[in-house]
Amino acid sequence: MFESKSGIFLIAGLGFFALSFVVMAVLPWMIYYKEPEQTVAMMAQKGMVPEFADLAERYPEQFKKHFGEVNYKTYAEALQLGHDVYVAEACWHCHSQFVRPVSNEDLRWGPVSHALEYQNTLQRPVLFGTRRVGPDLIREAARRPNDWHVAHFYNPLSVQPTSVMPAYSWFLDEQGYPNKKGMAIITYIQSLGSWLREYPYFEGDGPLGPAAHPEQPYGGKPVPKQVVNAPTEGSRQS
Amino acid sequence: MTALNVSMSPPASSAVRPVDGLVDRKLALWHLVASLVFLGVALLAGFSFSLQFLQKYPFPGIELLSPGRWRLVHTNGVAYGFLANAFLGCLYWAVPRLTGQPVYSRALSWFIFWAWQAIVGVTAVGLILGHAQALEWGETPTYVDPVAFLGLILVAVNFLTPIFRAKGPMYVTLWYFIAAFVWTPLVYAMGNFLAQYLVGGAAGGAIGGLFIHDLVGLFVTPLGWGLMYYFVPIILKKPMWSHGLSLVGFWGLAFFYPLTGIHHFLYSPIPLFLQHGAVITTIAIEFVVTTVIINFFGTLAGRGDALRTSLPIRWFYTGMVFYFTTCLQCSFQTTLTFQRLIHFTDWVVGHAHLVMFGVFGFWLLGSILYLFPRLIGAKAYYSDALNSWHYWLSALGTLIMFTDLLVAGVVQGNLWRNLAPWEESLIASMPFWLIRSVSGTMIIVGNFMFFWNLYKTWQMTVASRQTQPAMPGTSPMPA
Amino acid sequence: MIARPDETRTKRIVIGCIAVAILGPASYGFFEKLYLFILAVKKDQLAGFTIVPIANYLIVTAGMVCLLLWATRHGMFRNIEKPKYDMLEREAELDALDEQTRKNEP
Repeated sequence: MFESKSGIFLIAGLGFFALSFVVMAVLPWMIYYKEPEQTVAMMAQKGMVPEFADLAERYPEQFKKHFGEVNYKTYAEALQLGHDVYVAEACWHCHSQFVRPVSNEDLRWGPVSHALEYQNTLQRPVLFGTRRVGPDLIREAARRPNDWHVAHFYNPLSVQPTSVMPAYSWFLDEQGYPNKKGMAIITYIQSLGSWLREYPYFEGDGPLGPAAHPEQPYGGKPVPKQVVNAPTEGSRQS
Repeated sequence: MTALNVSMSPPASSAVRPVDGLVDRKLALWHLVASLVFLGVALLAGFSFSLQFLQKYPFPGIELLSPGRWRLVHTNGVAYGFLANAFLGCLYWAVPRLTGQPVYSRALSWFIFWAWQAIVGVTAVGLILGHAQALEWGETPTYVDPVAFLGLILVAVNFLTPIFRAKGPMYVTLWYFIAAFVWTPLVYAMGNFLAQYLVGGAAGGAIGGLFIHDLVGLFVTPLGWGLMYYFVPIILKKPMWSHGLSLVGFWGLAFFYPLTGIHHFLYSPIPLFLQHGAVITTIAIEFVVTTVIINFFGTLAGRGDALRTSLPIRWFYTGMVFYFTTCLQCSFQTTLTFQRLIHFTDWVVGHAHLVMFGVFGFWLLGSILYLFPRLIGAKAYYSDALNSWHYWLSALGTLIMFTDLLVAGVVQGNLWRNLAPWEESLIASMPFWLIRSVSGTMIIVGNFMFFWNLYKTWQMTVASRQTQPAMPGTSPMPA
Repeated sequence: MIARPDETRTKRIVIGCIAVAILGPASYGFFEKLYLFILAVKKDQLAGFTIVPIANYLIVTAGMVCLLLWATRHGMFRNIEKPKYDMLEREAELDALDEQTRKNEP
């Protein structure tokens, strides 16, 4: 049994693996399978971020060439391509996509992540991430303007002198305008967190600053002093 | 002619080469050489990626040399190029000698060899071209996954056949090997197919965590410990301290290890009771590991001089000390208390480097050091000093890197929690990243010294064979 | 032939001491936490939600202990140290054989 070949093959090999699979994989799946997984098209139908239209306004020629018109179909296409670029460049090795309920992360980035936010095909495999060299991105929508992203992808040091992010100049064409990949990844990043009722959350500020939401700026918690006095990321960059 | 008979009664005719009928030395050698080639590539990729953190990346703005993509080459190269190849090389030596049976088929073995190099090569090219999958260590492009899965099944068939043919009670190494051959294809399929095509979202994250950890725990760990249970007694020429205690280690690993996956995503949207379960089992593993460590140090007791005289033994036991360190660290860092601070920081990166290089890398380098002269029929190494340098540079480099990243992780975690502006955590990390690159350089220099030594040893052996073809002294060197 | 010493007295004492040193605190911790856990579940406190994984582990562990007892009763673990000596002997044989064939080589 414990020393025999078949015992090890069947109990340790197959049995324990099956046990772990049931406990660690089937159980969570059973909890969430009733929540339908949204496709990209469904996500696009729910609402387009204004930054997508902004790209079309800023770079009309290039946008027409790469995506054509601003509609839900091209928006879905841009989201999917942006996600694929995000994965291909392994952005998720240095940027996480979930806000934890600890370590003051809700103050820095906004509401704590909820499981339902991940029930879509763009999170398959899920992009929780593995390391935060750069900041978390799940609440990134509308924090920074498209211009900032274009400059940042071309040369991160130009807008963030301490950045260790590599330059992604192949997101831009010869004239320095974002190409299809560049527009797609900007759209994708600008969509992260846009499904919340209110966004963006700047560090230390609610969507419209603490004054606009006196009832519960931080889930009812008192605002720490250093947060109020600290310059916000949004104001610093723009 | 079955090899079992051979080991009972030496044949009369000298024309028969029974030992070579048992072990395909050339195949084992080629696997080991391939593993070292991929190790070299992975080391250089990791080093150049680490320069990005110092804003000194040597090839900025080139799409195919993007540091993000080469980071994939670093991790996947270590897992599938270095570790897998080195394990296969050692298995082709250890399994036939333990069972007295040759592997299932020599032709199949060679097919696996070339197929595996093709898989690793295509994976590397695919990653550089941007075909990665979004799963840590499962980044192998989707078109490689089915092929690699089939390859793993062939490997299992090739090695399980001799194990099941052998008679009598099994030695502990073979328990670990059987389990590893069952687990590896299952784990690979689970991570690369389920998480990619069927289950998304938070539940998919649970599967992803299970995959990441199972790849370490159910592929690398059982093969690594199996090899240690084989190499340590035969080099010390002394049986294990307790074969019965190793039963505890094996069954403890088999039961607890697969249940730890979710501890990679604590405080994530995965249900909290599952996270608690993963924490409990992770701490339980520490107890299991302690029994294994006691067993190995019990074996060493009375032969402590071997640490000085035998370099492979020194590699092995250094790896074991590191193993105990990582497991002890793991049982603390997996608690929710530690996770608040250190999750997403360099602490975890340090942990990963200590496990992958400091433990399994060390064990495999020690095994290669032991096997290489035996495989090519050399009397001695070209230079013992180079081997010594290799050991000390690697050991010190790993220790420095580990400690440095540990401290860096605590600094980063505190800066984040204190809501300091993000740039401050980068500025504060720069000195640590510089030390990391330097310690990485030490490891690289040490390993390239080893490669050079192997090359010169091989050259020397070939030369001596040409001058004295009938030289009788090509027997393996003593350990 | 390698000497095959039987279980020596010192070894038994060492194993016994280690077993007590590990199992003593571990079972104290385990049963104390189990007791607290049962109290928590009874009072319907928040900790009760971990009942699923804990029940899993307890049931499977109990099953493994039963298997272990069954295996011991059916004659396993009698000669458990044998393979480690066999393995060393086979290795020595193979090395000798290796030496032999290499010397006989033309």
